[in-house]
Amino acid sequence: MTSKRLTSLLHVVLVLALVIFGGFPIYWMATTALSLNSELYNTGQVPWPQLGNLPAMLTDLTQLPLMRWLVNTGIIAVGTTTLSLVLGALAGYALSRFRFHGKGALGFLMFMTQVVPEALILVPLYAMFITLGLLNSLLGLVLANVGFSLPVAAFIIKGAIDAVPYEIEESAAVDGCPRISVLTMIVLPIIAPSLAAAAVISFFAGWNEYLFAATFLRDRELWPASVGLASFIGQYETPLSAVMGAALIFSLPAVVFFLLIQRKIVAGITAGAVKG
Amino acid sequence: MSNQALLERPAAVPAPTSRKGRGPQGIARLMPYAFVVLPAAYLLVFMFYPLGRQVYLSLTRTRLANPNRSEFIGFGNYERLFGNPEFYSVLRITLTYSIMAVVLGVAVGMIAALALNRPFRGRTLVRGVLLFGWAVPNVAAALVWLWIFNERSGILNTVVTGLGLERISWLTSTDMALPSILLVTVWQVAPFVMLVMLAALQSVPEEVKEAAVIDGADKLSVFRAVTLPHILPTLQLVSLLVMVWSIRRFDIIYLLTGGGPVGSTSTLIVKLRQVAFENHDLGMSSAYGVVGLMLALTVAAIHALFNIRRQRSSSR
Amino acid sequence: MPDIQLKDVTKRFGNSTIIPRFDASIKDGEFLVLLGPSGCGKSTLLRMIAGLTEITDGALAFDGQDVTDWSPSRRGVAFVFQSYALYPHMTVRENIAFPLLMDAFRTWHHIPLVSSIVRWKLMRRPDIASRTNQIAEQLELTPLMDRRPASLSGGQRQRVALARSLVRDPSLYLLDEPLSNLDAKLRTQMRSEISALHQRVRKTFIYVTHDQVEAMTMATNIIVMNDGEIQQIGTPDEIYARPANTFVARFVGAPPMNLLGVRRDGSRLALDGGAGWRHPGALPADERLILGLRPERLTLLPEGRPGIPAQVVLVERLGAEVILGCRAISADGKSSGDLLRQDLIFVRVAGNPHVAPGAKVSLGYDADAATWYSADTEQALPDPRPVSATAEA
Repeated sequence: MTSKRLTSLLHVVLVLALVIFGGFPIYWMATTALSLNSELYNTGQVPWPQLGNLPAMLTDLTQLPLMRWLVNTGIIAVGTTTLSLVLGALAGYALSRFRFHGKGALGFLMFMTQVVPEALILVPLYAMFITLGLLNSLLGLVLANVGFSLPVAAFIIKGAIDAVPYEIEESAAVDGCPRISVLTMIVLPIIAPSLAAAAVISFFAGWNEYLFAATFLRDRELWPASVGLASFIGQYETPLSAVMGAALIFSLPAVVFFLLIQRKIVAGITAGAVKG
Repeated sequence: MSNQALLERPAAVPAPTSRKGRGPQGIARLMPYAFVVLPAAYLLVFMFYPLGRQVYLSLTRTRLANPNRSEFIGFGNYERLFGNPEFYSVLRITLTYSIMAVVLGVAVGMIAALALNRPFRGRTLVRGVLLFGWAVPNVAAALVWLWIFNERSGILNTVVTGLGLERISWLTSTDMALPSILLVTVWQVAPFVMLVMLAALQSVPEEVKEAAVIDGADKLSVFRAVTLPHILPTLQLVSLLVMVWSIRRFDIIYLLTGGGPVGSTSTLIVKLRQVAFENHDLGMSSAYGVVGLMLALTVAAIHALFNIRRQRSSSR
Repeated sequence: MPDIQLKDVTKRFGNSTIIPRFDASIKDGEFLVLLGPSGCGKSTLLRMIAGLTEITDGALAFDGQDVTDWSPSRRGVAFVFQSYALYPHMTVRENIAFPLLMDAFRTWHHIPLVSSIVRWKLMRRPDIASRTNQIAEQLELTPLMDRRPASLSGGQRQRVALARSLVRDPSLYLLDEPLSNLDAKLRTQMRSEISALHQRVRKTFIYVTHDQVEAMTMATNIIVMNDGEIQQIGTPDEIYARPANTFVARFVGAPPMNLLGVRRDGSRLALDGGAGWRHPGALPADERLILGLRPERLTLLPEGRPGIPAQVVLVERLGAEVILGCRAISADGKSSGDLLRQDLIFVRVAGNPHVAPGAKVSLGYDADAATWYSADTEQALPDPRPVSATAEA
């Protein structure tokens, strides 16, 4: 009896500790955003969010080109998603349904991309983009990001297609449907939930990306939010509450969508890693 | 009566021929390549050409100022690299960081998964909160942790001084920088481990557990005899993933410390960037990167070997 | 209106030959059933006719036109799958209309995104809508038109699959075990619906099944297959009355035909180690024979009357009839070890005779009930009776 009560007490303490560890940084982000800069640097931070400071924070936010950053971030993310899904659907379908020469090699190459550090192809990509005139452009960033997110999308889509009975496709073929439409009109609508998961992963791969953007973009006008926010690191006189507010706004979509599709993401990432 | 017709040899049928590569079915044979050509070409151009180019660079003397003029020097960079004590320090930091990230990240994630594997009120909410670290973008995470670690006004040092202790230089002392970065890494990695392990734990067949309990096993031995073997492959996979991610991790380390102070958090990949953009030595930078890639590939290969052995033994 | 000709059609997967040189021709308007145990290659054959599986060697022709290399859609056939293969993301209406849409599509309509718009527009075209509604009405699907397959019962799904195959009015229907996922009662009902459908559309049906009851009730012609080879081609009556070999004899009929390995001694027959009896008619010349007798052609006679001496060991009362399992007994009235190795002899008796296990009986039969098989080849032997006697068989 007492040992049971002890374990459940331990359980509560453990869960509380985990919640504090996992949630505190976000709480602190919000709290800092809702503080006055004078408190932060001089009198000491009030450890709870002061909603009264919201208007002041929003005013400070207008000092940052947050809108432009987010638009750039959005363009990169949408481009990365579109290209990853189109190419990933083609590759995923082929890996699931066809036998062909080089299938194993393709699977291995796609697995390799998950091991290659981004930094490792940074310099050659940089040189290549100079030649192609893609250096200071959002398109170049999209092209660089897709190399990493396409394989993940392809693995998720392959796994989903594996579970679709092949007879449905044969039935469509008998009905006079060519392969490309079998994919677009039959298979992809059936695996829509997995497609959505692949889309979320690609989208936030583009949304969060920092290294390529920081290296390839010279023009401040083109900065995405990740580069813009990182530019405050190491600077004196940071408008800290506004920066934290911006970071919070920047994080919010990612957090919401990742929580929504958490299970699908896990399945996709582990499937890609296992099957190679 | 129609039996007769059935047995009749049809006259109009053309003579059978071998079916290899003729007519529309010959074209159908090319169908897979039509699907594969675009994604494969994409990866070759934007991933594997740069990768090959980078490996080649490691065999040359190339300066950042003039990246298209490189002089082939064979393994010269590697010879210099292996003769340089700094390389071994970078390697040691990389291994320490990656192994500790696996040990701590998997431990915390596993504990969280076990804690969440029993039903309680608000479990979904708690799981959501625990996932924050995984979902928050690196740059935003770096910003808030930099502020938490801030030596003068950060909350950690406010607590430390409140306890009557000396301020700690979380990110700016050679002793504390790596542990501090590991703390952030665990915050980011443990949620993923938790999610995957939770899924694995929930797929443990209930009947087997119940059978063990009926046989008189206590909780700990049920865990050891039933649960652990069931989740072990997943645990191994997740450890591999965390290890590979840690070897290739750049953003959070670079943003928090830039590899400093005095190189105390400089992993291979962070060093790679520093040598390229601060020492302008692309050849040497590539050599660091190639060592990093080899390390990651070795880990993946070890995992693949384990997998093959397990599949063999389970198929017996 | 195709006559279908298969000439030396062969299917190999790697080194294993699934179908070695299959030769047959199918007449227009037939209801042909491909009957055989699972794994005999009947589904593969059907899929090769549809174009879903590649033909390794040989040729397939519709009306003399070689279609061996044609894509499934070009062959203009309808295929009903065992799993129905309905499109789960489409409504019943969209499922039924899909083949019509594909007919109306031009090549460039298949460009991604364009295809969605064209499909949306075509669904509103009056001729497509009215054809869809007409077929739905025929199969009593009208109230279900806006439901998705997941919310339908097995029988309803089956009807949607049939509707989808009917809508294009193809000249050849291929059905791959379409009833095997239904429960027994529904299966009987769908059996007669499909038969009625065949009567109405008067097109060629090729129907694959392992269920000999389906074959017997629906077919105009049956091809019995085993290990990829044709065992017998014939009408249901022919196949039932005169199985071409012991495989067909065992496969068709429930309980199956009794096959007794007997030794001939003059006009007497004897089982190994069993008592002999006098056969009531002419006998083939071989000394060792297999005697085939349908259970319903045996009659139960009191012990000692002319017939096979046997002992009842099993009584199965089915209401309108009784199935008796009997074991032959030896000359001294005991059952010997040799006899235990023989299969039970099944007898089907109408009504409800009062027979209990253990009863000793004599199993009588007429000479024209017997079919004879060679003990070596297991193939049917020519009927030994005079020609005039076989006329009405």
